[in-house]
Amino acid sequence: MRARARFLTLLGALTAATISALALQDVAVAGQADRQRTAAAPAPRPAGQAAAARPAAKVPRTPWGAPDLQGLWNTNTLVPLERSREFGTRAFMTQEEHAKALADLQLRNQRPGRDSRTVAGQSAVGTEKDVARAYNEFWFGDKPTKLSMRTSMITDPADGRIPPYTPEAARRIADKREFLAALLQGTSGGRPGPISPRRADPSPDYNLDRINRSDNTEDRGGPERCFGSELPVTMGTGTFGGVMQIVQAPDSVSIYYDVGQGSGFAWVIPITNRPHLPKNIQLYRGDAIGRWEGGTLVVDVTNFSDETNFHGSRENLHLIQRFRRVDANTLSVEFTAEDPTTWTRPWTAIQELEKADEKTTLVLEGGCHEGNYGLLGMMLNTRAAEKAFAEGKGPDPATQDNATGGGAEN
Amino acid sequence: MPNCTDDMPGHASELFCAIIAPQSAATRQNWSGEADMRIRLNRLSGAAAGAAAIAVFGLTVIQTTGQAVRTPRTADGKPNLNGIWQVTNTANWDLLAHTVRPAVAQPGVYANHSVLAAPVVALGAAGLVPPGPGVVEGNEIPYKPEAAARKRDNAEHWLDRDPEVRCYMPGIPRAMYMPYPFQITQGTNKIQMVFAFANASRTIYIGAAPDPPADKWMGHSVGRWEGNTLVVDVTDLNDRSWLSRSGDFHSDALHLVERFTPITPDALRYEVTVEDPNVFTRPWKMNMVLYRQLEDNAALIDYRCIELVEETFLGHLRKDQLVKHWEGDTIILDVTRRVQPGDKRYER
Repeated sequence: MRARARFLTLLGALTAATISALALQDVAVAGQADRQRTAAAPAPRPAGQAAAARPAAKVPRTPWGAPDLQGLWNTNTLVPLERSREFGTRAFMTQEEHAKALADLQLRNQRPGRDSRTVAGQSAVGTEKDVARAYNEFWFGDKPTKLSMRTSMITDPADGRIPPYTPEAARRIADKREFLAALLQGTSGGRPGPISPRRADPSPDYNLDRINRSDNTEDRGGPERCFGSELPVTMGTGTFGGVMQIVQAPDSVSIYYDVGQGSGFAWVIPITNRPHLPKNIQLYRGDAIGRWEGGTLVVDVTNFSDETNFHGSRENLHLIQRFRRVDANTLSVEFTAEDPTTWTRPWTAIQELEKADEKTTLVLEGGCHEGNYGLLGMMLNTRAAEKAFAEGKGPDPATQDNATGGGAEN
Repeated sequence: MPNCTDDMPGHASELFCAIIAPQSAATRQNWSGEADMRIRLNRLSGAAAGAAAIAVFGLTVIQTTGQAVRTPRTADGKPNLNGIWQVTNTANWDLLAHTVRPAVAQPGVYANHSVLAAPVVALGAAGLVPPGPGVVEGNEIPYKPEAAARKRDNAEHWLDRDPEVRCYMPGIPRAMYMPYPFQITQGTNKIQMVFAFANASRTIYIGAAPDPPADKWMGHSVGRWEGNTLVVDVTDLNDRSWLSRSGDFHSDALHLVERFTPITPDALRYEVTVEDPNVFTRPWKMNMVLYRQLEDNAALIDYRCIELVEETFLGHLRKDQLVKHWEGDTIILDVTRRVQPGDKRYER
């Protein structure tokens, strides 16, 4: 989740003008098939509408008669979660917009990406920003090659954007932002000023961000501590080439998300009407309970912990996910997120995932924590830098920026 | 809707049971009209096929008890393994027969009666290894001589070397007998097992399987049905997982053949043949039982330990360390535990 956020930030830096304006889209296989059939028609039907119109008889069934959700599902296209404002309440692109988005996508794929060692046109070799780039382009997976007509994953509210924060949440988020800025104050990546007196303060929330401090392991971000991807997973290319494997039985649906650079995880959805776990049970990926409503698997997820952060929502997040087999090649995955302590209203996003070839698509176990030498390295390195400073052999680590490295062109 | 009980006569009802058996009562309610209709259709259109299927699959005779026990079936007639399962044995501590003993021991007054040592001395009875009759057939693991020496050395340096202590994925077969639950989801061409501990999971491909991409902690599993038994061939395991807290280990040549056989509706016999010519002189076998969790509120809750082991392995790298030299009338637990050369994490 945060890894994706970081990627999208990077992506934004690389291609801010084109990507944000053109809203590259999630694949919608139903929509593509539809376009092929109606190639002569001037305006293809929007993917979502085409999917909804598909007769139910085409949906594969399990031997016990349930809609069959099983298989490997992915997308190699980009859809922004939020819609670019220029589209207003328009959920789908025109053909002209689509053609331009595709052209820009291909252009973007020719750019040097993160392997470029320049920042703002200057060589960044040897600078903090160069060193702080944790990953190069290799880790971001294949570039997208397809587009759907959707202008955003978010379908509700009508403007395709996350609803405004409540005043309480806005204050919470601003507090954290100020804390992050304080830790960067006086470094090359922060605002000017002396080392902030807040430098040793505890984080105002359970920290999951990349902050400019390594006093404790808890200072490092969730991805660096191998916390694993969070719910809900959106299968954009920003998840570093995600694949989702579903195995299904009458009493459970077991999902393995191979996403986020080895941040993959297993998620079992029991099909049951047991109540949710007691409120004091707070879990990183919550407590999921599934039920079938017609042909849709509806999953209610509560009991999240404050170690998760989905766009500002933490332990009070309530997710309702809907998995629906649209046709042989398409799985619709929708979520509604609500948290009255964070957003002024619930919101809903949808992705239509394409079935992947099981012979050629590899599903790999995560193994992030098992191979996490990075966290050890960050701690060791910082203690070594402090020692060197104390001996007059190096700069004060508090004046160094070890947080903002990333985008090559920012 | 009728319940799936033994008092429902006739083949059709048996097939009916087969179809709905995997689902809890709660699930059946959720399966609304659509599912009900399908089940009835299956009962009618499948009557002839159903009779044949039942002749083959209907009953399982349990040799150990002499009683005929109905094996729950999936819709396609396979034994139904769905559910949350867990061993009740002590194999994770020690595969062989063992009495109670300190989890970390030091010599006591008597040579053959060791006492609790740091770092578990403060735990008292909670710092002991629970006793057990063992799970290894013949109660002997046929280590090669040099491997036997390494196992003993591993046991001495258990806390530095055991991947479980670091919250790593347990590997196979250990994941099957960790003392925590796991959930089986039996799909149509894959069986997924998700383990509470460390969110580990494995996919058992039934029939066609992709080529394994690389060695993995949880290996590559390909299964087939032999009558009532799910037989799983496991390869492509890495050489880093262990078999128990007693230092039992293997190489990346490890090859397992697992056999899952229902012995009651709520118990599976689990047998695993262990073959690794780098470590063992011959194949050997473990034999145990997996029990279904029957509690109304049974749930697979993640045994999430990633952040909780940071203090153990990285606590010394905090700017201000939390572990102090305790003083006053507080118990003074001055633990000196040196990590041996070769066992430091970045050396592995």
